[in-house]
Amino acid sequence: MKLTFDADVEAFRAEFSAFLDAHLPKEAEELERPRSTAHIPEWARRWQRLLFEEGWLLPANPPEFGGRNASLLQQYVHLEELARRRIYHSFNPQGLGIIAASLLSFGTEEQKHRWAVPVLRAEKTAALGMSEPDAGSDLASLRTRADLQGDHFVVNGQKVWTSGAHDADFILAFVRTDPDAPKHKGISVLIVPTDLPGVNRRPFGSLVGPDDLDFNEVFFENVKVPAENLVGALNDGWRVANGSLGHERTMLWLSFAERLEDLTQDFRPEDVLARDRYATLVMDLQALRLMGSAALARAARGEQDVASVSVLKVFGSEAVQNATEQALEAAGSQALVHPARTAPFNPMTLEDFYAGWFERYARSFSGTIAGGTSEIQRTIIAERVLGLPRS
Amino acid sequence: MLFEFDADQRLWQDTVREVLAKECPPALVRGVVDEGVDPGPLWRAYVRHGWTELTGSGEAVELAIVLEELGRATDPTPYLATMTQFAPFFPEVAEKGVSGTAVFEGVSAHRDDGGWVLDGTARYVLDGDRADRLAVVTGEGVFTVPADEAHVTRTPVFDPLLHVAEVSFWNVRVADQDRAENADPQRTRHLALTGLALTTVGACQRILDLTLEHVRTRHQFGVPIGSFQAVKHKAADMHVAIERARALAYYAALTIAADDPRRRLAASMAKAAAGECQSLVFRHGLQLFGGMGYTWENDLQFALKRAKAGELLLGGAAEHRALIAEEYA
Repeated sequence: MKLTFDADVEAFRAEFSAFLDAHLPKEAEELERPRSTAHIPEWARRWQRLLFEEGWLLPANPPEFGGRNASLLQQYVHLEELARRRIYHSFNPQGLGIIAASLLSFGTEEQKHRWAVPVLRAEKTAALGMSEPDAGSDLASLRTRADLQGDHFVVNGQKVWTSGAHDADFILAFVRTDPDAPKHKGISVLIVPTDLPGVNRRPFGSLVGPDDLDFNEVFFENVKVPAENLVGALNDGWRVANGSLGHERTMLWLSFAERLEDLTQDFRPEDVLARDRYATLVMDLQALRLMGSAALARAARGEQDVASVSVLKVFGSEAVQNATEQALEAAGSQALVHPARTAPFNPMTLEDFYAGWFERYARSFSGTIAGGTSEIQRTIIAERVLGLPRS
Repeated sequence: MLFEFDADQRLWQDTVREVLAKECPPALVRGVVDEGVDPGPLWRAYVRHGWTELTGSGEAVELAIVLEELGRATDPTPYLATMTQFAPFFPEVAEKGVSGTAVFEGVSAHRDDGGWVLDGTARYVLDGDRADRLAVVTGEGVFTVPADEAHVTRTPVFDPLLHVAEVSFWNVRVADQDRAENADPQRTRHLALTGLALTTVGACQRILDLTLEHVRTRHQFGVPIGSFQAVKHKAADMHVAIERARALAYYAALTIAADDPRRRLAASMAKAAAGECQSLVFRHGLQLFGGMGYTWENDLQFALKRAKAGELLLGGAAEHRALIAEEYA
């Protein structure tokens, strides 16, 4: 057990910090804000491309894909330094973290250069087409059909919750290619450009407001997708799905730690009760960092630890939810005002940190619902860690 | 920061578990409570295994591993008090296998022609009725006194394994050489808080262990009750609460081992998290056990009581959260 990182990791941190200090975009107040998770303002495209070219975008990648072959712990301090400054390396996080990562793991050489690299260089943005109206937690029951006809697939069906789809250049879509196989075995993955005839996207507002447009319904009507856009083997999509989300999962807890860290700055307790709640917040943050770093150490040794990821997700997401609710209630009637600002304006981050407390609290539910609900996580913990029987 | 045991620490944890499985099985604990079995031989076993020699700062994590496992085994000896309240003041005494505890408040010292004199009463002193020696914290320094020079009365408590006592000093004379040089009562307090937190975490783990065993084997409606989602989710919450409290308890041990300035905050975090953990684990554990956990015959009671008692000593979760918030004021 150690309280510090080894010297090589700290040297890596110092090098990245110096880079950030020298190259951060200037005149932040004038920078355009992104409007969805697949919309990257021009200045942010330049910023992401610079990170890509200097090997600071995804440091674990090889240089041709925006990295420098960094170790997992170096990758961790890289994210820590970005978080400490409240800046994002990309405003298309699912494009970078899930879609490009999946294409680099499962795609052909041609797909890597034609689709993944442009996402990494912020020349294209991407959305993830997994969920459907009747396939949420039970993803394997998805029904969007893709039938191979000669040199193309014909796609019909509907996706929903497709974040940023209306701004995305393509969708990584999970589709059913063998309706007769058991449900996990008939799924494939396709790259579907959004400008193909028959792709219709309808963004819809969140509970925060009708103009808070990130979620989409996406309808596919006889969309002809070239066969070369198949990612991985035919009917092997379930493996891609698990791999894709796996990329996100090892570090997912860090995003909750970042939000808690921000809350320690933005939530200023003013009475005894609020101070009590503030103490819980700082304890949760400390505990999450400790538990997360232990999981990271296991991952660095190459151990797969699905269960600890579930513990971190349920704990981290609910800690954020509790803390934002406490901050909301501590603010009293003042928290009724909307729109409002509860943190310094910061265009360098995707999060609406300048939003009011109600909005910040409402957004915390993305942590407890998306990427496997807290209920699903608890069941995973009970069955895989605690060994309770499946029902 | 890399927060996980290294290979030596994992090996040490295995060793401690093996020793306890042999030396401190549930039957012995039950015997201490129901038959008045003397835990003295068990204490001597700990001494023989070298566990009372874990007094150096650098060994705080190894000590923490022992304390967690002893909490899990609902240890009936005065090890916790000796190692986290007495040994930090008088390590060389504890290393010889002499048990001890600390009197943190209520006693004052003054000097007269014959030397130092102690006066006053302290309540709820952990193991105050059975420790060999007392470390008495006063405004004039920390004194070591043979326990038989104080008036001690064991306080009847809900936990049949727990010893707490009222300790009174009526003009007790102490020689100069029995005053600890360079004593640091704050540091001892941090270790004492961390020790109680680890004990509580261990007891909570024991509650979860027993509960899981129960819900896997208890059948209703033709299936193990552990297959019901309502049961699973409570068990998952118990696990998460324990993981959180355990992380903060070992972090506190680590700051003590490193003599890191964050240890005051870390010790309060450990104690508060352990308190929050026992609240949830006690409720869910006893609830999931149903009527069977509600009986004297079931060993669940020992772990439940150890966990709840941990919350009630040296300040509870709410008090420590207030201290934590002060650090950020």
